[in-house]
Amino acid sequence: MKSCQKLRIAVAAWILVAGHAALAAPARPATWSGDLTPIAASEWNERTAAHLLERAGFGGTPAEIAEFAKLGAVAAVRRLVHFEGVSEVALPPFDHSGVHDPGLEPFPPSRPATTNLASKNGKALGIKVKPSGNRRLQPVVNKFFYWLRASRLETDRVGYWWADRMLRSPRPLQEKIALFWHGHFAVNEDKVRDYRKHLQLLQIFHEHGLGNFRELLVATAKSPGMLSFLDAGVNVKGAPNENFAREIMELFTLGVGHYTEHDIREAARAFTGWNYKDLGFVINELQHDTADKTVLGRTGNFSGEDIVDILLEKPADEFIAAKLYRYFVHDDPSRETVSKLAEVLRSNDFRIAALMETIFLSRDFYSAESVGTIIKSPVQLAVSTYRKLELDRVPGVPDFNTATATLGQHLFNAPTVAGWAQGRAWITPGLLIARKNFAYDLMFPDINFIPSDRYPDDPLIRSVSKRLEDGANISNATKPPGVEDIENMSMANLMADMDQDFNTRYGSYRGWQMALEKVKPIPRYTAGFDLAGIVARERLTTVESIVDHFFKRLLSVPASSAQRAQLLEVLRTELGTDDIEAARSYVEDALRVLVHRIMSLPEYQLG
Amino acid sequence: MRHTDIFDTQRRNLLRLGAFGSAYGLMAPFLGGFAAARESLADNRILVVLELSGGNDGLNTVVPFRNDAYYKLRPTIGLKKNDLRMIDAEYGLNSNMAGMVKLYKDGRMAIIHGVGYPQPSFSHFNSMAYWHTAEPNSGATFGWVGRLADVLLEKNAPYPIVNVDATQSLAVRSRRHVPVVFDDPARFVPKGAPFDVSESASDAAGNTSQAFLRDVARSAKEASVKVRDAWQNYKSPIDYGLVSLDLPKVASLIEARMPTRLYYTSFRNNAFDTHVQQGNLHSRLLTYFSDALYAFMQDMERIGRADDVMVLVFSEFGRRAAENSNRGTDHGTANVMFAVGKGIKGGHYGAPPDLTKLDETDNLIYTTDFRQVLASVIEDWLKCPNAQDVLNEKFEKIGVFG
Repeated sequence: MKSCQKLRIAVAAWILVAGHAALAAPARPATWSGDLTPIAASEWNERTAAHLLERAGFGGTPAEIAEFAKLGAVAAVRRLVHFEGVSEVALPPFDHSGVHDPGLEPFPPSRPATTNLASKNGKALGIKVKPSGNRRLQPVVNKFFYWLRASRLETDRVGYWWADRMLRSPRPLQEKIALFWHGHFAVNEDKVRDYRKHLQLLQIFHEHGLGNFRELLVATAKSPGMLSFLDAGVNVKGAPNENFAREIMELFTLGVGHYTEHDIREAARAFTGWNYKDLGFVINELQHDTADKTVLGRTGNFSGEDIVDILLEKPADEFIAAKLYRYFVHDDPSRETVSKLAEVLRSNDFRIAALMETIFLSRDFYSAESVGTIIKSPVQLAVSTYRKLELDRVPGVPDFNTATATLGQHLFNAPTVAGWAQGRAWITPGLLIARKNFAYDLMFPDINFIPSDRYPDDPLIRSVSKRLEDGANISNATKPPGVEDIENMSMANLMADMDQDFNTRYGSYRGWQMALEKVKPIPRYTAGFDLAGIVARERLTTVESIVDHFFKRLLSVPASSAQRAQLLEVLRTELGTDDIEAARSYVEDALRVLVHRIMSLPEYQLG
Repeated sequence: MRHTDIFDTQRRNLLRLGAFGSAYGLMAPFLGGFAAARESLADNRILVVLELSGGNDGLNTVVPFRNDAYYKLRPTIGLKKNDLRMIDAEYGLNSNMAGMVKLYKDGRMAIIHGVGYPQPSFSHFNSMAYWHTAEPNSGATFGWVGRLADVLLEKNAPYPIVNVDATQSLAVRSRRHVPVVFDDPARFVPKGAPFDVSESASDAAGNTSQAFLRDVARSAKEASVKVRDAWQNYKSPIDYGLVSLDLPKVASLIEARMPTRLYYTSFRNNAFDTHVQQGNLHSRLLTYFSDALYAFMQDMERIGRADDVMVLVFSEFGRRAAENSNRGTDHGTANVMFAVGKGIKGGHYGAPPDLTKLDETDNLIYTTDFRQVLASVIEDWLKCPNAQDVLNEKFEKIGVFG
C-alpha cells in the first residue's frame, strides 16, 4: 500500500517540524541528558533522592527520602550499590513446605513418559505399580500431578518470599537487580516444574547480581533451572541442540546479529554434555564433544566456559550496559552513552556494581528524559505501592501473584525465553484498567476473595470433587460434561473405563488434593492500611495539605492543576467538611477513596 | 489511505506536542470521523486468528482414509470410513465436524497440508512462541500480528488489534500499537463507581511516557465502554455450540462496527493435548471447534460482513504419526491449517506429508512453512505490499485467495 508509506513519511516530516518547539523547554536543564559526569553536591536534594530510591529499589517513604537527601549523592549511591553503612540482611530464609522427595528425581518430561516408565519398571516417581486390580498405575499418575501442582504452588510461595524481601530488605538494589536478572535469564515454571530450581537461580542473582558478570553468567548457565529450561540435557555429541547456545549468545550476552548460525552450531558443540542431576551441575564426559570448534573467529577445543570467555570479548559489554540502562534509566540511550558505559563495564572487569555506581551518580540519570519516565512493571507497581503506604508485610488479599500475573508479570513465569518486554509493553487498555482495579482491590478488600492456592481454577477438577462427594464412581465423576447422552447411545463408552490403567482426570484431582495437604497456605491478611495514621503523624490539617502530601508520596510526576482541583473536591465531598480534626474519626474511608483515585491516574504508572 | 486520515494523525501528534496550543481545541473524539472514513474504503477486510492450543491431531482431523499407511500407524485410533464425513475422494473430516464439512463443500474452506517449520520444537511453550512470533528458534519479542499491525495500520489507529484472552498473547505484542485485550466484556471495566479525572495534553510536555499513558487511558475508557456496549447489544440467534471459543465476542465487535481489522482468539489451556484415550476427547473438541467456527461464519452472513472476514486456524504442532500405547498420540510436527471465508478459494493446498517417510524422531516431515501461509494472508487478503516487512524473510505464497 504505497499510501501507507506516504502517510508515514508525511507524519514524520510534520513531527520533525512541529516537535522542535515542544522539546525546547523541559523541567530540568536539557544539558544533563547524556552527561555521565557525577551530579554535584549542590544539585542533590529530595527530588533526586526520591528518584534514586525509586529506580535503585522500590521507592521510598518520605522519611527515607529525607534521610537519603541528607546523605548526599555519593554516600546515598554507595549505600545502595555497595551497601555501605547497611547491616546484613536479616530476613528469614525461604520456609519450605516440604513438598519434594528424592523419589521424584529424575522427574520425567511428561505424563506419558512417566506411565511408560512405570509400565516398564514396575515403578516411577518412587511409587510402585499396583500388582493387580483396576487402574494399577493410578498412584503413579496421582503422584505426577501432585508434583506439578505442588511445585507450582510452592513457586508462588517463593514469589511471596521474594516480594517480602523487596519490601523489607535494607539492600533494595540487591532485590531490584535480582529482578532485572530474573527477567534477563528468564525461565518459566510451566516447563521447569521444580520450585527449588527457581530458588537456586534467585540465590545466584542475589549473590552475583552486582558482582562480576562472567561469574553471574557461568553460575546461571550451569544452574539446573536454566539447563532444564533450555534443553541442555538433550544437547549431546553428534546431535547438538542449539537452543542453549543460541539463547546464551542471542539473549544473554550479544543480542541478535553479532554471530552467525555457524557460530551457534559450533558453540553448541562446546556445551555438549552439560547437564544436571537433581540440583547439581554435571558434565557428562561421554556426551561432550572434544573436537575443535570455531566460534567467532577463534578455534580450539573449547569447553562451555571457554565459550563464555570468547563471548565476553565481543560487544557483550555494550549489550549488557544498554539493557541495564534501559531498565534503570530510560529506554532510548544514545550510541555514545552506551559506548561510554560499556567502557566503564569493561574497564571494571565486568563488575555490575561499578556500572551501576556510574549510572546512579551521573547527571544523565537525573535528567528530564530519565525522571518519571519509566512505566512501572507490575512487580514494581505492587511493591512500591506497599512501601510508599508503609506496609510491613506483603498483603495476602489481594493475592500478590494473581495481581501481578493479571498485570502481565507472574514471577517465575516469564512468557518466553526473552523474559518480559519492558516499558510500554506493560500497558494496554485492558491492563490499564486492571491496574486501576488492583488499586481498588487494595483500598477496598474484596469480601468475595477466594484464595487461589486453595481453590483450583479448573472447573472440571472442581466438578470431579463434587461428583465424588455425591457418590459417583471414578468413571462417572471424571467424565467431562455433555457425555451422558452419548453414553446412552454407546455401550462402548461404558466399557471404556474398565481396562484402563489409570484415569488422568482423577489423577489431576487427587494430585491437587495431595498438594493442598502439603503446601503451606499463604497468610491472607489484607493490606490493613492506616492512612489516617499517616495524616495524623504528618500533622496534615487541611484538605489541601492532605491531597498534596499524597501526591508527593505517590507520584513521580506532578499532577495537573485540574487533577488537583478535582481530587480536592472528591476529598471534601467524602469528608462532608473541610475540618480534618472534626472528621478524624471517619477520615480513613475518605482517604481510601482519595488514594484509589490517585493510583488510578495514568501518572501513577510512572516511576 | 485517504487525506482525512493523514490529517487526523497530524492533528493528534501536534496536540500531543503542544505546539499549536488551543488552535484545534480539545481533541474531539477522533473515532467518529475515523470510522466514517474507513467504512467507505474498499479495505474493510478483517482477519481472525484462531489458535488451537495443545497440538491438534491434524491427521485425525483431516483423514486420508484411502491411505493404508494411516491405518497401519493407527490401528486403534485411526478413524474408519464410517467415522468420517467425506469431503472428496481422498479425505474425510472427523464425523463431528458437520459445520466445517459444509464450509468446505461451499468452497469457503482451504485446507493447507504439511504445515510446519525447520527444527521443530516439541515443547508447547517454545513451539507456540515460535508460531506467535513467526520466528522459530529465536527469542523474538514481538508477535507477527503485532508487527502486522505496525506495517498495515497507521501509528494511531484506534483498537488496532483485539485479543480475547486473560492476558495478552505474544502473537499480538506490537511495537507501536496497543492491542485491546480483554476476556470478559462485562469485566473490562474499572471497579467501583465511574469517575473522570481530567488531563489536558499540554501537561505532559516532554514526557513521552506520560503522553503515551494518557493516550492509552483515553483509549481504555473508550474501548471498555465500546466493548461492553457491543456485547450488551449483541443478540445473535446463531447457536455457537457448547464452547464458543470467544468468537461471539469477536462477532459482537464486528457487528458494532469496531474499526479493528485484526482479531485473535484461542481454544485455551492446551485443550488439544490428547496423549491418552484420544478418541472421544478429540471428537468432542473437534465438535466444539467446528460448531463455533461454522456458527461464526453464519453470524458474519447475518450481519452482512461475510465478504470481509476470514478466519485462520492453526495449532503449535501436530501429533506423531503413530498412535502411542495409551490410545492417544504424542507431540509431533507437521499439521494442517485452515483458512475459512468467502474470499478463500476452497480446496487442498500444500503437499500432504508422506506417511511412509518419517524423520529420525518418527515424525512427519513438513512440506509447507507456516510463514508461507501467513505471507499469503498478509499480501493477498490484507493487501499489504510486502509480507517481508512483517515476517523479516521472503516466503513463497500459497494461492489460497485465487
